[in-house]
Amino acid sequence: MALKRAVRKTTKRKVSIAKPKEKSMAKKQTQPESALPYLVFGTLFGYFLSKARATDYDSIVDMFLCREFQLYGVILTAIAVVALGLFIIRRKGIKTKSGAPLELETMDWEPSRLTGAFLFGAGWALTGTCPGTSLAQIGEGKLVAFFTVAGILAGVWAYKKYKPASSSNEEQVC
Amino acid sequence: MNPPHEPINWHLFFSHIGQLIISDTWAWWAAGIGIGLTALGLAWYKGRRLGVTGGFEDACAILTKDESTFAASPSNWKFWFILGLPLGGLLANIGHWGWTWLYGRLDMITFGSMLYKVPWLLVGGFLLGFGARWAGGCTSGNSIMGISLGSKLSIIATLVFLAAGILITNLLFKAL
Repeated sequence: MALKRAVRKTTKRKVSIAKPKEKSMAKKQTQPESALPYLVFGTLFGYFLSKARATDYDSIVDMFLCREFQLYGVILTAIAVVALGLFIIRRKGIKTKSGAPLELETMDWEPSRLTGAFLFGAGWALTGTCPGTSLAQIGEGKLVAFFTVAGILAGVWAYKKYKPASSSNEEQVC
Repeated sequence: MNPPHEPINWHLFFSHIGQLIISDTWAWWAAGIGIGLTALGLAWYKGRRLGVTGGFEDACAILTKDESTFAASPSNWKFWFILGLPLGGLLANIGHWGWTWLYGRLDMITFGSMLYKVPWLLVGGFLLGFGARWAGGCTSGNSIMGISLGSKLSIIATLVFLAAGILITNLLFKAL
């Protein structure tokens, strides 16, 4: 596990949002974290996805048929809000709640990822949902989403277990 | 806009607000701001990157107990995060909640039969999971968080997601 993390460190490019002043803060805490805040963040995310109508098969279809602006608007607004927020955080040097400078990782582009992205897009069109919204659909009472979620679990499992030879050696960011 | 002799109908006002909270869907900008603030909150809370597929990998690690194949997140935070998603979906629709096997226009394509719908969604879901891991993230990790960070990978991946989605959907609904 420790080795794996060390390997990952070298392949991932760290983008420092706030200028790191103390290196010691970058060390991750070993104590287990409370699950509740993440549960709350997840609930908020699911709530907004549902409010955005991103959990509706027909609105995904209308997005891909370019009949409706709704979901494009949602994605674009979300990107704008996050980008603006990160800009402000960088400008004002705002630290995270734990006091560490905010560092978020990004990965380098590799052409082999094109295939994965295409498969994802195909799955998005077929199921009319992405991994996040499929779980929100379950909460909404759309029972067919259980099959989508089972499929996603199987897909993630299969990728990690039988990684295609041409695929990237890098880990994922999310 | 209210003329002076006509007082504001507070009852109507609050019932509209309540309706917005527990059952109606929102305008794109309102929902987009909510999603953006959630992502920012997650980053501010402990420098976490918004992402959903990682939670599925956590679930794989928990189910198979194979920590060497599946990279679990610290304290399994990603798993707890995605566990909240169904809860959010429930709260957003609690005003008119009900379970259903129906799934919009997919029922039309699959002749309303579970015999076609189940394998359809299983295969589609498989592509989602497999593709998301391969592409380095899904819609939340790449399209929202990655693009905001200016990652080239995320921008290209998102364009390919959309191109594939537009292609397949047009084939399904226009060509067939």
